[in-house]
Amino acid sequence: MFIFDGAMGTMLQQAGLKEGACPELMSVYRPEIVEAIHSEYLASGSDIVTTNTFGACRLKLADYGLAHRVKEINHAAVAAAKRAIADIKPTAQVAGSMGPTGTFIAPLGQMTFDDIYETYREQADALIEAGVDYILIETIIDIQEMRAALLAARDARASAGADDRVKIICQFSFSEDGRTITGTTPEAAAILMEAMGADVVGINCSLGPEQLIPLLQKMATVTNLPLSVQPNAGMPVLVNKKTIFPLSPEDMASYVGDLIDAGASYIGACCGSTPNHIRAIAEAAIAHGPSSRTAVEPFTAFTSRTQVVRVGHKEAPIIIGERINPTGRKVLAKEIKDGNFAMVKRDALAQVAAGAHVLDVNMGVPGIDQAEAMRHAVSELTMLVDVPLSIDTLDAKALEAGLKAYPGRPLINSVNAEPEQLAAVLPLAKRYGAALLCLPLGKGDLPATAEARIELIKEITLEAYRYGLRPQDLLLDPLVLTLASGPDSAKETLQTLRLYKEIFGFPTVMGLSNISFGLPQRPYLNAQFLTMALSAGLTAPILNPLNKTVKKAFVAGRTLLGFDTAAAEFIRLYGQEAEDVIGGSGKKDSSTTRANTITVGQTVNQKERLLTDITEATPEVMLEAICGAVERGEKEYVIELVTQALTKKIDPLVITKQGLSEAMNRVGEKFGAGKVFLPQVMLAAEAMQGAFQTIKQVLPEDTRMARDTVIVATVKGDIHDLGKNIVAALLENNGYRVVDLGKDVSPDAIVNAAKEYKAPIIGICSLMTTTMPMIDETIEAVRKANVPAKVVVGGAVLTQEYADTAGADAYAKDGVTAVQLVKQLLGDE
Amino acid sequence: MAIFNGRLPVIDEKEVRRYAGLQRAEDFPEQYVKEACLEVQLEAVPRGIYREYAYDAATGTIQSDPPLIVEGSSIRKHLASSVRVAVMGVTIGEGVERRSAALFKEGNYTVGLLVDAAATTAVEQVADQINDLIVKAATAGGYTTTWRFSPGYGNWPLDVQPALAAIIGAEEIGLTVTDTCMLFPRKSVTAIIGYMPGGATLQTKRGCTSCGQRDCPSRKKP
Repeated sequence: MFIFDGAMGTMLQQAGLKEGACPELMSVYRPEIVEAIHSEYLASGSDIVTTNTFGACRLKLADYGLAHRVKEINHAAVAAAKRAIADIKPTAQVAGSMGPTGTFIAPLGQMTFDDIYETYREQADALIEAGVDYILIETIIDIQEMRAALLAARDARASAGADDRVKIICQFSFSEDGRTITGTTPEAAAILMEAMGADVVGINCSLGPEQLIPLLQKMATVTNLPLSVQPNAGMPVLVNKKTIFPLSPEDMASYVGDLIDAGASYIGACCGSTPNHIRAIAEAAIAHGPSSRTAVEPFTAFTSRTQVVRVGHKEAPIIIGERINPTGRKVLAKEIKDGNFAMVKRDALAQVAAGAHVLDVNMGVPGIDQAEAMRHAVSELTMLVDVPLSIDTLDAKALEAGLKAYPGRPLINSVNAEPEQLAAVLPLAKRYGAALLCLPLGKGDLPATAEARIELIKEITLEAYRYGLRPQDLLLDPLVLTLASGPDSAKETLQTLRLYKEIFGFPTVMGLSNISFGLPQRPYLNAQFLTMALSAGLTAPILNPLNKTVKKAFVAGRTLLGFDTAAAEFIRLYGQEAEDVIGGSGKKDSSTTRANTITVGQTVNQKERLLTDITEATPEVMLEAICGAVERGEKEYVIELVTQALTKKIDPLVITKQGLSEAMNRVGEKFGAGKVFLPQVMLAAEAMQGAFQTIKQVLPEDTRMARDTVIVATVKGDIHDLGKNIVAALLENNGYRVVDLGKDVSPDAIVNAAKEYKAPIIGICSLMTTTMPMIDETIEAVRKANVPAKVVVGGAVLTQEYADTAGADAYAKDGVTAVQLVKQLLGDE
Repeated sequence: MAIFNGRLPVIDEKEVRRYAGLQRAEDFPEQYVKEACLEVQLEAVPRGIYREYAYDAATGTIQSDPPLIVEGSSIRKHLASSVRVAVMGVTIGEGVERRSAALFKEGNYTVGLLVDAAATTAVEQVADQINDLIVKAATAGGYTTTWRFSPGYGNWPLDVQPALAAIIGAEEIGLTVTDTCMLFPRKSVTAIIGYMPGGATLQTKRGCTSCGQRDCPSRKKP
């Protein structure tokens, strides 16, 4: 049990630090003040004092023009602490404080990881050189910044040969929602810090002791590292220009027992605390005595910035999504080569939506800078998805680029038993705290039998331990050879899985699809193999969760192995599916096509039946059916119906008037009455568009439906074009020829277009008060040029009154009204 | 000054439906909303920045260089108890607008429309994240904060945008203001958050209840 000290900043202010002055510089110019503060804390019971170096890194000191004095300021601070210790309590120790840089690492902010690493490295070098016992990285709110700081501290310690005498403490600052402001939970933070080699992990600042208790408990559920906690003296309030912290020393002390019981063995205090608080805390800690923590059984987990995903034989199997891999995917490979990551992002989101727990990321495109591609992909994905990543590469540079960019504990996929591979990958896994997939491949032939694979895994495991990796860092791949390579290949894989579980007990990972290479019905074979493998001890298959057959086998396997209580997940996902449908062919079934097949209140089967009935129906019934389908926005169904109607020789003009236009009239009425809403109007317009295109295809010569030309534009200075796009879409689907001039269009351009196209109608809009006067100017220009067109105006801020004053011919309050007005003005039905 | 770009791992579909005016629509297929959210996640490039300044409530002056005086009774009232302010800007880039327009051109009107609503949701989410960061910084100093107030709210005129963008340093995140005082890219937000000492709280309510547009289709249901 160690008692830390309390606040430094407030003490310095009390001792005369001026507002706006650099607190850290006090160690240089007024060392006696800093020393006195340390002395007070030591006299109050502190076992460890924290140096006055919270903001003494280059980036923070630059605010005061002191970036070049990092070493001097840190040395002076450590010296002041050491003098106080020598005087007051020679057994006490010094913790060198490193606070946040006040910036964020890209892509969340604008700094590079290396910038932040260098900033901390310089400070850590100085602190260790001056003789600190601990590096205390504190008040960190971004896991990436903590990773950079921890690596810098570790490297500084190693290069000073101080591994035995300096410990590293990593303290995060959490918000009231129990996460850091950038989304990291105490569990995710603690798991990663332990894997990266922190000696102590903990929490400080932001919240009072009461709120830190549950957060500390969470850390204690995932790590056996000592825990430190340094709460604020409650939540501050500013009164008469003074920041007041509400908790008295006694208040603070009343929580000490609970903090120790939650797992703390280093206790201090942060903002608002004084030597009196520390005295009360120290007394309470001694009275309570140390608590015995329940040891956490080691487990394997991946973390992202925001999530922890456990994997192992006691956990439900998880899916590692395989799609982000250019092997055999030409379009994806080309995109990656061109530096375009759109498909990578699309595949990531689709796999997460389909249930992937981890995403494998492979950038193996020949002839590209794989390190840069991996860095880019990992950066983009950490902004987009919450699931952990698996960094899939054999290129050590690409691996390190991916690991550096990754704000969590990823899986490395993979390392084999070749000595060069082990030498390159194992240190990286250790350095960045990654979990590592071990593949039983060596220099010689492929190991055909389970026993041969076990031997290779033993070699890898022993070497991994030599580099400091722990059992919970290792996962095993049983090696999947294609069935074509021998009749026993699947059997040997399954046997390997069983032996892995029995001998090592580590989680297991494997890609499925190799097994069915060159065979028909691959998803079906893969699915069968998957359930067998799950039963034999596979904990994390690498598969395509978008493949329904394979995904269903996975969910079924989880259910059958007892990880899905009351089969709830299986029922939720598959309870409504018809039992005779097996999508083994890989063809799209009705539910995978685009959203426009979605029906409202009808199943496909019902509709098919209806269509059969319709073919026998009278023209009136058919037109009514078309009308109804447009109203509901059922595009594909409308197309089928219109095709049928044309086959039955119903006049396209009749279809248009009595089926399509009538539908839009009804939709318009319901919209006006507030019973139907804009997206539903657009859905109907899409259905109508489908119908028009069908008629055009069948009867390209029929021009009877063609209507006049309408010019539409958003006025000069205005860059909103959604409303204008809506009006254009609706007009087009009422048969008008629309000339869309876009946004920010000058009066001249509008006049010229109206002349050129002899348009009888001009529709203009403005969305902002600042651009409204341009409505007036445009109308004036139209009138001046003697263009005979009528002008319809609209837009969020316009009113009938404004339109009248501006001399418009009509004011449309919404898109549906705009179409009605155009029809009225032109005498169309 | 801090640059904080925010993340978009999810877009709140309920908010998208609200912005699209679908709150009271029954049976609208959720796949369209999901597709629009996906499009925005793929196209959006979130970026955010904020700066803190001292504020003099008596004269409505933000102590920037040069100082900025805020005009209009609503913003003055909003900041009446504040002694410091954070001015913030966020954008999700121009890609979402281009995507919406392209969808309209392709005839995918519904998703095109919903992409606009999803982009509005996204930029608000990013603004929320930087807002949280500001609140955390203010709280550490013992302040309570006002909700974020943007030009155009109440009677705070839009013509403050150029000066506000300048003291935010908005160009650092690619956010500019047009001659007509519109933010470009269009899916962007500028706002001001007041820091109030002494545990003061704000009486004015945030959001729809404070807005006079009672027939707005996006107005939150009571």
